[in-house]
Amino acid sequence: MAVTIAKERWTSKVAEMTLGPNGLKVGGETTLPFLHFEGEMPNRPVTALEVFDMEPQDWPDILKEPFADVLSDPVAWAKKIVEYGADMVALRLMSAHPDWKDASADEVAKTAKAVAEAIDVPLIVLGCGVEEKDGQILPVVAEALEGKRCLIGCATAENYKSITAASNAYGHSVIASSPLDINLCKQLNILITEMGLSLDRIAFDPLVGALGYGIEYAYSIMERARMGALTGDKMLATPIVCFVGMEAWKAKEAKDPDVPEWGPQADRAILWEVTTATTFAIAGGTIFILRHPESVKRFNAFINEAMKSNAY
Amino acid sequence: MGLTGLEIFKQLPKKNCKECGQPTCLAFAMQLAAGKASLDACPYVSDAAREALDAASAPPVALVKIGVGEKAFQIGNETVLFRHDKRFEHPTGIAIQVSDNEDVKAKVDQINKLVFDRVGQVHEVNMVAVSNDSGDAAKFADAVKTAQDNTSYPLLLISSDTGAMEKALEIAGANKPVVYAADANNYEAMVALAKKYEAPLVVKGSDLNSLAELVEKVAGLGYKNLILDSGAREFSKVVADQTQIRRQALKLFRPFGYPTIAFANNDDPIMESVNASTYVAKYAGIVVMTSAAPEHILPVITLRLNVYTDPQKPIAVESKIYEILNPGPDAPVLITTNFSLSYFCVAGDTEASRVPAYIIPVDTDGISVLTAWAAGKFTPETIADTVKKLGILEKVNHNSIIIPGGVAVLSGKTAELLGAEVIVGPRESAGIPSFFKQRWLNK
Amino acid sequence: MFEIIGERINGLFLDIREAIANKDPKPVRDWAVKQAQAGAYWLDVNTGPIASKEEQAEVMAWLVKTAQEAVELPCCIDTTNVLAMEEGLKVHKGKAMINSTTAEQAKMDALFPLAANYGAAIVALTMNEKGVPKSAEDRIALAMELVANADAYGIPMPDLYIDPLVLPVNVAQEHGPEVLEALRQVKLLANPAPKTTCGLSNISQKAPNRPLINRTFLAMAMVCGLDSAVMDACDDELVDTAATASIILNQSIYCDSYLKIFRQK
Repeated sequence: MAVTIAKERWTSKVAEMTLGPNGLKVGGETTLPFLHFEGEMPNRPVTALEVFDMEPQDWPDILKEPFADVLSDPVAWAKKIVEYGADMVALRLMSAHPDWKDASADEVAKTAKAVAEAIDVPLIVLGCGVEEKDGQILPVVAEALEGKRCLIGCATAENYKSITAASNAYGHSVIASSPLDINLCKQLNILITEMGLSLDRIAFDPLVGALGYGIEYAYSIMERARMGALTGDKMLATPIVCFVGMEAWKAKEAKDPDVPEWGPQADRAILWEVTTATTFAIAGGTIFILRHPESVKRFNAFINEAMKSNAY
Repeated sequence: MGLTGLEIFKQLPKKNCKECGQPTCLAFAMQLAAGKASLDACPYVSDAAREALDAASAPPVALVKIGVGEKAFQIGNETVLFRHDKRFEHPTGIAIQVSDNEDVKAKVDQINKLVFDRVGQVHEVNMVAVSNDSGDAAKFADAVKTAQDNTSYPLLLISSDTGAMEKALEIAGANKPVVYAADANNYEAMVALAKKYEAPLVVKGSDLNSLAELVEKVAGLGYKNLILDSGAREFSKVVADQTQIRRQALKLFRPFGYPTIAFANNDDPIMESVNASTYVAKYAGIVVMTSAAPEHILPVITLRLNVYTDPQKPIAVESKIYEILNPGPDAPVLITTNFSLSYFCVAGDTEASRVPAYIIPVDTDGISVLTAWAAGKFTPETIADTVKKLGILEKVNHNSIIIPGGVAVLSGKTAELLGAEVIVGPRESAGIPSFFKQRWLNK
Repeated sequence: MFEIIGERINGLFLDIREAIANKDPKPVRDWAVKQAQAGAYWLDVNTGPIASKEEQAEVMAWLVKTAQEAVELPCCIDTTNVLAMEEGLKVHKGKAMINSTTAEQAKMDALFPLAANYGAAIVALTMNEKGVPKSAEDRIALAMELVANADAYGIPMPDLYIDPLVLPVNVAQEHGPEVLEALRQVKLLANPAPKTTCGLSNISQKAPNRPLINRTFLAMAMVCGLDSAVMDACDDELVDTAATASIILNQSIYCDSYLKIFRQK
């Protein structure tokens, strides 16, 4: 009995973004994740590992261990990340945080430039998370990184103007971040395009939660955004950034070394980060910012399988 | 949703004989679709058409009951492709496989321990799958008996040998195990066995076409208590087949109107766990794994809990005292609502601050801080009542609580009702670490 | 997403009639651009009355080419002349829309194969030799004929646009609720359901307050399942109404700038 394969007639596609000195491409899909039988997924989901510009204060030992000798040297740390096989380096400018070193824009821009010079993969530059401060430092960073085709974030409803203007002027793309609300995600993408930055230079961040900690909210936002993108809603048709590492490593299940009924920490912690990532990958996530090198390896093994043809 | 006029029309003889009282078959189809006529009025409709039309009133994905007693569960009855369209109805059953070549009792004991507590609720695996890897019917029967004697979970019996299955069912048949599987070679005997014990039967194809064909044959033998296996084992093919089966079922393609089973089995337990999680999200009715180690099962169970929550219903956590990082008498007391996401954000950011603290979620029927405030469920009265009822101020030495910045207006009245200091905290939980640093530790 | 079929490139309008007479492409192009910017999804193209069938076919081809030179939108080729229809389809780029067939067998047998051959969408009116039915029930019976015939010719249901025929409220008031009920029931005829459309401005022919009547009817009809309409794309308040109704019906994802986004393609 011949089954008529049910294929959706999607009318639109996700914008394709090009990053970094090596022209890494992300996005561009014309169907839902991994449904190769009805459309194209020209670029696989990509990974980044995080570098802090100061030694991280709250990382558990299992996470510090692979970077033990480089935690206070962002350039060496970034190089190590490339060796570990991540597609990109995500530099987090924690030192600019008023609670930490309150570093100036010039100081962090210098670090960002040194890191960018040391690697041949795309650089993601993240502020310290304080919107006002990020609105001041990121434009300076963007100027220092002119021509490096970085991904800069996070632009929020509060600070997107200065970040967008600078990113546009110096050839970078922007991460647009809105808290768990698809309507705000869409509106921020619109506001940013209205400043003249094209859709293929925006990736949105719906503020994901980790496995067990509200993962389903961002999961459904991504599914809705992808359905919208494929049916003509251009303003949600941009790549999606998932800050998986930051969230997964807050979870007790990842951090706690000693809970016998949950089993040994090694596999458990990695699975917490990887399962959070793969779950967003099947919902439409594009750029995965992780923390543990083993997670990158595992995530890529998953994507290798998922990218295999399933044409009928 | 009932049948459409076009679907009914296609099943009619198209003779336009008018004997039903309608001028044309088309008009008759319309009357049927509107529920204003009965198919009995048509003297020429074929039995096949009648059956197709009868079957069409059934739900898109059949409901299948597995096991008996306390651990029995149901799968199927699904109505959507995306949880945001409505919700996923019945959580995927997680089956852990044990081979009749290994120490069955030892593994079953391990499986029995896969029970996890999460915010006051118990979550566990659902089935023990016993596989006849030995190829020996007597050994399989022994393994099934050992499994049944040592667990209260329903069983999934894996053997393509009908003789072995018959023996196993003599032992376990009364408890409605899942019979795996009827394939092109053995389906007549497997159907007879499943029928005898009224046990759910997996129909296994080698691709979607052969699966549909076999389901028709099995249905032709009068058995419809079925679960589907397309035979795909490669990850990307499983995702495609699962998607196709759900899509086709929702389009009322009847051979695929049953729940599915997917095998995540992998020598690498991490890949097995990740694949199993994906199958949970992508429509599997049952997912089979081989690892019984908690670190590999907990992520799958947790994702199932998340994906199968009803998006239309807020999820609540229990209103009680939550202790973060072993707080002592000088630790701060944070007030939030019992919307799970509110609680998880506050708990996560408190942990990130490395300041031990108490968190008190006020019962607001699971809605968030500002919504609950607007709805009159997060008020000075409900806050004060909860704080008093839980006796948190007796546990600390500072007689103060911290409320979310978004409801700063509640501070005065709450302080009055409680006779305690009410400190206004940050608006967003992300501000908790700096709040503690600047406002609490310097206090 | 609601599809606006811009009504303005029609020989019944004086400027288009003159453009056709003088072979002057400018008014056609201008209206194509204006309607595209206003949010049109299709451009209705109608030659107006021309005596010779051959000449009408030639004019149709010219109108389609001229409109598509100005914008990338597809055309809704609006003529009862099958020759003109085919000439229009031949020069059309992308997926065209045929406007229209009725439930008369001869028309269906001529136009459904044309739609199938060209992969075009097609508007199908719920009327036959006996004229426009009065009740929702009779409209649906004709819609069913259209659905069954279109399906037999291999036309996918999402390409079939059933038009339940809107009549002026000032002379045929009793048709209003019947049209709305018919729109509801069309969605139950097949799965996937056929689409729906209508000639919106008919509702307000020769009545005062035309814009108000048009947009009130539009919102009501959208609730009942109206997917598209031949309408004045340059009536901003009308388009705002479509955008707002579409948001309230959860047909696209809300954002504060939804009025603007609705007009972008």
